[in-house]
Amino acid sequence: MLDIGSFEARTCSGRSRRSFLQLGASLPLAMGLGQMGEAVASEAARAKSVLFVFLWGAPSHLDTFDPKPNAPAEYRGPFCSIPTRTPGVHFTELLPKLAQRSDRYTLIRSHTQTAPGHPDGGTVALTGFEENPKPVQPNFGSIVAKHRGQTGSLPTFVSIARGVVMDGGRRIEGYGGGTLGSAYDPFLVGASESGQVEIPALKLLDGLVPGRVNDRRELMKQLDRAERTLDQSGMVDWQRSYQAAYDLLMNPKARDAFDLTQEEPRTRQRYGQTVFGQSSLLARRLVEVGVPYIQLNYSRHVEAITPGFEFGWDTHIYNFDLLQDLHCPVLDRAFSALLDDMEERGLLDDTLVVCMGEFGRTPKINNRAARDHWPRCYFSMWSGAGITPGRVIGESDRLGEDPLTDRITPKMVGTTIAELAGINAQARAEMNILDGGNVIEGLI
Amino acid sequence: MRFNVVLWFLLLALATSTYAAEPKRLTHDGRMKFNPSFINENEIGFVDFEKPTLTIIKRLNLKDGRVTPLHENVDKQELEPAFWGDGRHSVFHRASGTLQTSLVIRDEKENENIELPPGSGFSGYRCPTFSPDGTLIVFSFADEGQQNLFTVNRKDGKDRKQLTKLTRINNWPDYSPDGKRIVFGSTRDGNFELYSMKSDGTDVVRLTENRFQDVRPKFSPDGRHIAFVSTRDGNHEVYVMKSDGSELQRVTRHEERDDYPQWHPDGKHLVMVCERKGSHDLYLLPITDLDN
Repeated sequence: MLDIGSFEARTCSGRSRRSFLQLGASLPLAMGLGQMGEAVASEAARAKSVLFVFLWGAPSHLDTFDPKPNAPAEYRGPFCSIPTRTPGVHFTELLPKLAQRSDRYTLIRSHTQTAPGHPDGGTVALTGFEENPKPVQPNFGSIVAKHRGQTGSLPTFVSIARGVVMDGGRRIEGYGGGTLGSAYDPFLVGASESGQVEIPALKLLDGLVPGRVNDRRELMKQLDRAERTLDQSGMVDWQRSYQAAYDLLMNPKARDAFDLTQEEPRTRQRYGQTVFGQSSLLARRLVEVGVPYIQLNYSRHVEAITPGFEFGWDTHIYNFDLLQDLHCPVLDRAFSALLDDMEERGLLDDTLVVCMGEFGRTPKINNRAARDHWPRCYFSMWSGAGITPGRVIGESDRLGEDPLTDRITPKMVGTTIAELAGINAQARAEMNILDGGNVIEGLI
Repeated sequence: MRFNVVLWFLLLALATSTYAAEPKRLTHDGRMKFNPSFINENEIGFVDFEKPTLTIIKRLNLKDGRVTPLHENVDKQELEPAFWGDGRHSVFHRASGTLQTSLVIRDEKENENIELPPGSGFSGYRCPTFSPDGTLIVFSFADEGQQNLFTVNRKDGKDRKQLTKLTRINNWPDYSPDGKRIVFGSTRDGNFELYSMKSDGTDVVRLTENRFQDVRPKFSPDGRHIAFVSTRDGNHEVYVMKSDGSELQRVTRHEERDDYPQWHPDGKHLVMVCERKGSHDLYLLPITDLDN
């Protein structure tokens, strides 16, 4: 079933449906930029689509992809290491499926950044620049979206989550368009563990039913009424948005991209009946139809058993419990399925997949027998778009505290993504983005 | 060729040994679930997602299969329940702030709670359960770089006693039916292994030894066996051993996850959370012939 706001585009029960969209000042505005599009994908782009898997909250590097079995006990943690398909490379026992697929991606173990908190660290991870000094720079996805422009009914930058990823009440400033403008904010889409897809920005306007959605004049009346509630400053973007929302709903092909019921049950099962699992499947479908940039978030809201808190990998308490009980099994299954599925469909040939958090976690176990924030050293995985897989780039020191090799910064991550997406140095300069950024040496 | 045939039958026999039969499915929604615990012979309490940001304790009626919330109007996460006195009393921990949980000792009949707050900052309890006579609650609590086991009185939540000291992470305590010993998991020797000790914290005996995780031990109702989860064979599987750590038997054999075993009061079944085709449900597995 596809549920857009409360609009069920497909139902088996035949029950009556209420519909449609409500648009607010905080709408994602990157969708439906038909008249704004300035370019299609460069023929030089190795990545037609980019799938950025964002492990929000920051997973422990020592307990996952960079174990330190010879470190003192107060560092190494309780998990043993297991061999991967890459000779000489080990992960912890929590990731057996991804260990068996290490020939599908290249691992980087020498990331570093400077922002120790989540909102600012998240901004650096997603833009390459700190939140301050202002202005906030654009999300990598916004850069790709602007470069590609609009080519159809589908949005150009989709963020899969039930709203903007936040820290408590504060969102990551780098979630959206930044200096490129709110027109390049992501289009938010959420998926439930049962595969129900929802678009938070599109909510019911009472009294509008599917038959009347097809009546453009009726739709405009409804939207005009909603429009009056908006302040004048958001008007232009808002009008563009409802036009795009209408296009999306009325275009069966675009709508189908969000409909997970069109997948074989076996495929859906493969990803797992979890929010992240079904969100990963949605991400693959969006890649398949050519959405240029997808940010797949873990979390807001994946299943959360962190008390009082929905925060993905932020394991200040219960680190070892949460990793082995929840996060690692979910990631291991869903991300493995995603890589397999994309490989089998030939999607990795021209799709770049990047998986990483905003930083790592303290190598030394904290006072609560868990791990805190650690921006000095962390990891990422890169797959597809011609990247030679099965390698490890970079090395951390014996305790996992700092890179031993050249440090890979978030700006280098963004520059490499841009380069693979066909945005070369000249284009970056013309767009005035990622100033001073270098491509990750040895990766491409 | 003949050797290959023999080998094939041998592998088939291994794959279909005593406990290879699929357990009986008890729930059917497929959402992730945690920590089943018998309320009484006919009801199981377990943790389920009311929504992605809210876990609550639910009650499964084994007679009619109905699943209902244990408590009404819950708006804070409930985690890791245990029950005593035919379900009259429960203990669990509940979100009390950002990355904080309080310990809740509850009289379900009188709707009365004793709530023990966590420490300052990020802090919380883990895995509380009752002593067999219902006088004590044992739980795990992290502080000063360790996660140790403690007891408090059920009636007033007071008289806190520390059972383990300076031994890294200790978790999943469970009393033997006679109340004399506690089985638990600990990283004191590096990774998670299982140990038992006298209920005053002395006479610690190591029960398992392998490089993978051995976690979530549970005494059988007669106290002669311990069920637990291990990843020693490549994924989460359920095992049973004698209470002294001998005679290990693997009781699940599936490529997906089998976890959170809990003995049925009849001692002849285990309820557990099984992952099948990517979905997570409660299952009931007959356990027989343990002494053969």
